[in-house]
Amino acid sequence: MIALECISLAYDDNATALVDVTLAVHAGEQVQVVGPSGSGKTTLARLLAGRTGGDAGTAFRGALTLEGTRLEFGTGTDPRIDPAAWSSRVGYVAQGAWGQLSMMSSTVAEEIAFGPANRGMPAGQLRTTVRDIAAKLQLTDLLERDPRTLSGGQLQRTVIAAAIASEPQVLVLDEPFQGLDESATADVAAVLELLRAHGTGLVVCEPLLPRRLPVDARVLALFEGSAVFEGPPGDARGAGLRRYGVGLEGAPPRLSSAGRGPTPAARTASPTPAGAAGAASVTPARAAGVAGLTPARGRPAGDPPDRAPGLPESRPKGDALLVELECVSFTYPAQPDEAPAGIRSVDFSLERGEVVALLGSNGSGKSTVLQHLNGLLRPVSGVVRIDGRELGRRPTGKLAATVGYLFQNTDQQLFERTVLREVAYGPRAAGKKRGAAIGQAGDALAGVGLSGYASLHPYELSFVRRRLVALASMIATQPLLWVLDEPTAGLDDEGRNLIGELIRAHAATGGGVVLATHDVAFAEAVSDRTVTLAAGRVLPAAGSPASEAPPSQ
Amino acid sequence: MPRRRIFNPLTELLAAALLVVLVLVINRWQFSLAVLVAVILPAVLLSGRPRRIGLTLTVVAAPLLLSSLVLHGLFFPEGTTVLAQWGFARMTVEGLEFAALMGLRMAVFAGALLTATMTASIPELVSTMTHRGWNRKLVFVIGSAVGLLPHVAARAHHILRAQQARGLVVGGGLRRFKALLMVSTPLVTGLLVDASERTHMLEARGFSSTVRRTSYLPDTDSAAQRAARWAMTGVVVVFSFLWLATGAAK
Repeated sequence: MIALECISLAYDDNATALVDVTLAVHAGEQVQVVGPSGSGKTTLARLLAGRTGGDAGTAFRGALTLEGTRLEFGTGTDPRIDPAAWSSRVGYVAQGAWGQLSMMSSTVAEEIAFGPANRGMPAGQLRTTVRDIAAKLQLTDLLERDPRTLSGGQLQRTVIAAAIASEPQVLVLDEPFQGLDESATADVAAVLELLRAHGTGLVVCEPLLPRRLPVDARVLALFEGSAVFEGPPGDARGAGLRRYGVGLEGAPPRLSSAGRGPTPAARTASPTPAGAAGAASVTPARAAGVAGLTPARGRPAGDPPDRAPGLPESRPKGDALLVELECVSFTYPAQPDEAPAGIRSVDFSLERGEVVALLGSNGSGKSTVLQHLNGLLRPVSGVVRIDGRELGRRPTGKLAATVGYLFQNTDQQLFERTVLREVAYGPRAAGKKRGAAIGQAGDALAGVGLSGYASLHPYELSFVRRRLVALASMIATQPLLWVLDEPTAGLDDEGRNLIGELIRAHAATGGGVVLATHDVAFAEAVSDRTVTLAAGRVLPAAGSPASEAPPSQ
Repeated sequence: MPRRRIFNPLTELLAAALLVVLVLVINRWQFSLAVLVAVILPAVLLSGRPRRIGLTLTVVAAPLLLSSLVLHGLFFPEGTTVLAQWGFARMTVEGLEFAALMGLRMAVFAGALLTATMTASIPELVSTMTHRGWNRKLVFVIGSAVGLLPHVAARAHHILRAQQARGLVVGGGLRRFKALLMVSTPLVTGLLVDASERTHMLEARGFSSTVRRTSYLPDTDSAAQRAARWAMTGVVVVFSFLWLATGAAK
């Protein structure tokens, strides 16, 4: 149905994104494209979607064949692809469902109808088409809902529905499961399987090799723009793709510092040096980064209580718990016909040197709990204490030196012109002199292995690197407590390992970490215990989760 | 509860715009006052959301009215009938009259346009314009207000929260102003990046297609309303022309 022969694709800055990659997709086939960040997955997906980039200074040499029509590029005058006509035969769902919305539809039905309406489909046929697609993708109950109020899984299904409204023969999806919990992932996967059963060819790009793939699917693994493996899923799992940075979905991260350490108290008394982390499994640059990371302000109990120059005023006070939530409740304002969301009577505590993972499905209240830790949300009732002090009315900005927060959405937390300015913002806001702030920023960037990117604009970096910049900008303020919302969402194997190492290294120096995640394997590998939330309440722990969790490798 | 809709939003918006034109052309405080009392006030009260419109109206119009009163009431060079004098400032009857005329006009502008836009159903408006075959780009600009404005507001809110989480303390006065500046740069950059991605998305969804666009929503417009819109426009244009011509001849 569609075939790509890519001799080379180079961007205008001469960086080659793809070399010698061929791919053919037939009716009802699924090709799973896997590869680490920067391996060329998105470039490949865009090529298949007809975005050969001629107008953007991109040089593509090769050929695209769609239903027997072969278009050759790089041999003189390139053929021009009509995006509207191409997309009616090759649907493309780019990364980030939110950006796929037309922004002029007030209901899911109008959103699905947007494409065919643009192509002039008569009103009666338009309504039948929307109804049929909605029935197929189990969206009938949502047709009258505003697409901006949907949950992640519902939104992703709506975007897929909109992409298949013109009945394309091939559907290309770039990371369609990013940020979805298990049940939403299963819903979207079921929809894709249904489309395949109806004869649609699928190309799905993911950073990790999925646990479950149809037996007749084909895996294409990319590394630095070249194909390093092509074959059935069973062979892919045994092909040692981890050496190319392709991890297996659901596998624990590789932590060289023996994973979860001893109990927090023991670790505080006998800390693992931060520098011991990471050397075996991450690249030299990133490993050096972990080694060079400035430790958090918390320190081993045996250390003298002196303060290194330039460190913030706040210090752990004696044996005080780092975080204490006592019977905290919070309710979001709700529409009249909706049940109010929020959290109810949440009790939670965290010791210094401890890592706790919050688990639960989308909407269970994980992010709401996290936002209480630095005052982004204030409880309706209950008490929040950070480092022994009641939060009260202290502004969020004043807590930044104690509590660092990594938001789920990376791009909404990057706001400076260069990576270095971005990372130095926190120390500057905390009152550091320019030189000291730049120094702290440099250390933090080295910590995440991004020293060489200091002068670039954050938007020039790949998603994974932007995520690491956001993490570095949090680390630069040297907060005692790290609050991480979905830290591994969308990360490749290497990024996931690195974040795991950084979390353990921070805990080893007496810092505390609370993270919310859907990545259960990651949570079990890096955390001392997990706390599960459901419908805004903490579920009772069964036994001692820390002792039951499997040891990580 | 929003009121029961009688007219198509396009008809209502056009009526509001024509009312503004009439107030501008006639330029008499009595006429402005009559429109305000006989048309705008009942429209706001019957809109189903008088409190919200009233509040917005106050926020938008009150500073303008106040500054007009101070400026024209105290510093009107053509004023001859002096009521009171404080140094440079002279309160004159002519100045107060002019301030009242300007104030009334502004109240009518703001009242008519805000009431019409705040009660209009944008999806219905977009659907009507599509059914009438308006330019799809213009329709998109109007229609995207549905999604884009709340999206921009939400994005600005997220950026501010991220900055607070990294140490920005939002206080009053100058600090608040500085915070606003800090939010605007990443907001605009982010929106431009989004816009570039969205252009590709729109193209891929056939937005640049040249055939006439269709609409999922049914046409709620009627032949009578279409005729009424043409008639209203015609009457106002002819009346304005005659009024200005006779006024100029005097």
